[in-house]
Amino acid sequence: MLKRKRQKIDDRKLWDEDLKNIPLENSRKRAVVIITIITFGFVVILFRLINLMIFDHEKLSGRASQQYIREKTLTPQRGVIWDRNMKEMATNIETDSLYAVPSNIRDAGKLSTKIAPIIKVSAGEINRLLVKKKERSFTWLSRRMDMDTSEKLNVLREPIKEGEIGFVTEPKRYYPKGQTASHILGFANIDDKGIAGLELVYNDYLKGEVKSVSVGMDARGKSLVSDVKEAAPGNNILLTVDEGLQYIVERELTNAMEEREAKAAVAIMMNPMTGEILALANRPTYDPNFPAEAGGEEKRNRAITDLYEPGSTMKSILASAAIEEKAVSLDNMFDVSKGSITVGGKTIHDAHRHGVLNFQEVIKKSSNVGAVKIGMRLGATKYYEYMKRFGFGEKTGIDFPGEARGILRNVKNWSGTSLAAMSIGQEIGMTPLQMLRAYSAIANGGVLMKPYIVSEIISPDGKAIKRNSPTEERRVISRTTAATLRDILKTVVEEGGTAQRANVKGNLVAGKTGTAQIFDPKTGQYSRNRFVSSFVGFAPADNPKVALIVVIYEPVGETYGGLVAAPVFKNIIEHTFAYLDVPMEKDENKIYLVSRAR
Amino acid sequence: MIDRRVFKDFDLGFLMVVVILSLIGVMTIYSATRPLLDAGQHSFYLKQFNWIILGLACFFIMLIFDYRWFVRFAYPLYIFGIMLLVIVLVAGRTGMGAQRWLNLGFLSFQPSEFFKICFVVTLARYLSGLDQNVKLGLNQLSKIVAGFFILPAILILKQPDLGTMLILMFIFTAMILTVGIEKKILITAIIIGLIAAPLAGKFLWGGLKDYQKNRIVAFIDPQADPQGIGYHIIQSKVSIGSGGFFGKGYMKGTQGPYRFLPENHTDFIFSIFAEEWGFIGSIVLFIVYLFIIWRGFETAKNSRDVEGTYLALGVTYMFSFYFIVNIGMTLGLMPVVGIPLPLMSYGGTALLSNLLALSMIENVRMRRFASYY
Repeated sequence: MLKRKRQKIDDRKLWDEDLKNIPLENSRKRAVVIITIITFGFVVILFRLINLMIFDHEKLSGRASQQYIREKTLTPQRGVIWDRNMKEMATNIETDSLYAVPSNIRDAGKLSTKIAPIIKVSAGEINRLLVKKKERSFTWLSRRMDMDTSEKLNVLREPIKEGEIGFVTEPKRYYPKGQTASHILGFANIDDKGIAGLELVYNDYLKGEVKSVSVGMDARGKSLVSDVKEAAPGNNILLTVDEGLQYIVERELTNAMEEREAKAAVAIMMNPMTGEILALANRPTYDPNFPAEAGGEEKRNRAITDLYEPGSTMKSILASAAIEEKAVSLDNMFDVSKGSITVGGKTIHDAHRHGVLNFQEVIKKSSNVGAVKIGMRLGATKYYEYMKRFGFGEKTGIDFPGEARGILRNVKNWSGTSLAAMSIGQEIGMTPLQMLRAYSAIANGGVLMKPYIVSEIISPDGKAIKRNSPTEERRVISRTTAATLRDILKTVVEEGGTAQRANVKGNLVAGKTGTAQIFDPKTGQYSRNRFVSSFVGFAPADNPKVALIVVIYEPVGETYGGLVAAPVFKNIIEHTFAYLDVPMEKDENKIYLVSRAR
Repeated sequence: MIDRRVFKDFDLGFLMVVVILSLIGVMTIYSATRPLLDAGQHSFYLKQFNWIILGLACFFIMLIFDYRWFVRFAYPLYIFGIMLLVIVLVAGRTGMGAQRWLNLGFLSFQPSEFFKICFVVTLARYLSGLDQNVKLGLNQLSKIVAGFFILPAILILKQPDLGTMLILMFIFTAMILTVGIEKKILITAIIIGLIAAPLAGKFLWGGLKDYQKNRIVAFIDPQADPQGIGYHIIQSKVSIGSGGFFGKGYMKGTQGPYRFLPENHTDFIFSIFAEEWGFIGSIVLFIVYLFIIWRGFETAKNSRDVEGTYLALGVTYMFSFYFIVNIGMTLGLMPVVGIPLPLMSYGGTALLSNLLALSMIENVRMRRFASYY
């Protein structure tokens, strides 16, 4: 009761009077003014809305998609290059690439100075790039960085968090064996494009398919779609090269370079039966992982691209032709006791005095006088024909870039001295590979093979797209001639021959030395102190497994091929046989070397 | 205190529209923040939903009390509100360059949001006590300005919260004009305003914070620095414009979720909505807002007493100004002043305060017929 009374008092206080009687008309009228203003606001908003959403729609819509749809290039994995035993010679590793989102960057100068010392680009350059592309939402700053660099960049938390910079994982070409086989493989540039070697020749096979996809990206450059398809990887390449043999060849070449202080050196190893290149090395060399650090000299693949005058190794070709044409018989004797011979005004000397030599001994002791006499019996036309048949003056057709054709002048253009000069391997230019191929023909029974280095191209799903098999170019000499010549070449490494240092235990080696003076185009004369020393041959002599040529350019001190190149040849063959488990056939104790050289 | 007849006059339609609008807000917040959800981050939409539940509870609790009780206790409320504004300046939490939040431990809220309601109730109380037939003279006017406006305006500017201060100024001006002021004062005020505006502008410009200046520069010329201060406005326009006539469809918007448009779930929620629902959807949304505003004015007109009229008018003015300023901001018609869209923008305190304010309208409305004792 009391409560109710109190409430009544309260109520009365609040709405005692009938407020409805108070005239509110004026206020309401004025409220209409405000309502009108509000209505006006609505109308303005409506017009603006029509303007933006209907008239400007297309323009703004384009702007929106331009903002969030980005063309994203998917970098494919470049094909792997394997040696013949499927060991990886060239592969890919995942690396971080640094990009910037210029439109997100608030202080380009500050960011540039932060990044510059890490990626080793000047701050000014970065700043200029960022300012130039201010409107853009993507630009590369540094691609395919090494681990160290990307770790240092990762410490810059703030710009990464703010979406100013970011990382993309990209595959980078990697050559796990470093310098090994550098001239075979070549290298790919920062965009994964082949620049040299097989990387260049087979770039189209290796590169894979770059895919460009449109992906939604948020303002910080994060991809909004997670299931982006992978770019199609490139095809893989299987080489004929054996990494183990390549390693042996490279190691021995390095040793020889050091020992002889030579200007350069080349060694090629080939299967004489098939033409498969087993190893190919040049000195000086480089690491294809860091191609920018090497100059032209280091990158030169002399084995394929550079010509040299062979010197005495040419005598085997001459001898083959003479036997095949029956221009001489094996018991013909040649009097070389004068020590020199003059043909067409040109005098050719022997290195050592010899007496009367039979045909075999002319080759064994590498008598220049004897060779000239054989050449004169054979005649220029025949000799020229055989040189051509042995493949000189024509490309071998090996799958390498920049192969040299060689110089073999047509017999019609020969001078009076040409036949004599060519008999001892002058006035003719060839690549080491051409010479090796010619000797391989002698080794395999007289057939000139086409050398090759890629045995298969294999698609990512394991199918062979292209397969190379041994290709016979032509028969050059008969089997018997080849066999005869092999016997002669065996004597070269025997006692009294020019290349005893090439002798491998068991008399397995057949080959020939060559020591050529370097022709100086400036003086028009042969240099007295600059030589190319070489040894080319095969082993085991009766059943050749490998043919090998070693060329040492401008050794210091000793210059004779028998002293400079032959020992290298021997070392390589010994280790090769150990590696391949080839038994030392003629060794009386039949010792099999079973340990593999590393 | 509660009369059953009162609930008979309860406007269910009004409440439904308010609830629907709040839910549209939650939906849009969900869409705007979906990449964050995928990343397992804050579920803004869930928090907002909880605030709606809390807000609706308060909405109903407030209805139990006759609005005249609020009007009666207006002055204590006002003083309480001012105290909160002082506390926030002393002990408030700073966020985004302004000290606006009070941390209560379990939640943090913005006292200025709460103060708006006190302000409207206080004005209703004072203005309804005046002789409605007499226009305000200079004396009266200065008394009101000094008594009710100056102090809160300074306190809020101090935070600084330019947007809320502007809204308070709009409400205040609108209310005064509704009561009516003498013609000569009005004319003088307009003339002085026109002359003093540049001077005041210059004076104010010096007092503005850097980010406030930037907003105004950006408003005048968004292209001046498209990646910097104008970014917000341009991105908002791109967002809205790319929606086109029919919109991209719910959850198909790109500009907000993909973070091209910052603050997309708070002040720029309309840009997200417009992008997804297009022109059609926006018009429908406007109609829903207009409905609430219309109901507000209708309530003021049919109110049983002057208090009710001014209370409903104050709340409706507030609601309308918030709407117009926010939408104008997203459309690039006004500078970016940090005003949320009522009911839809993410933000607990603002939502609660809006629901409380709208509850006042419902309160006046359902008690519009004089009670018969």
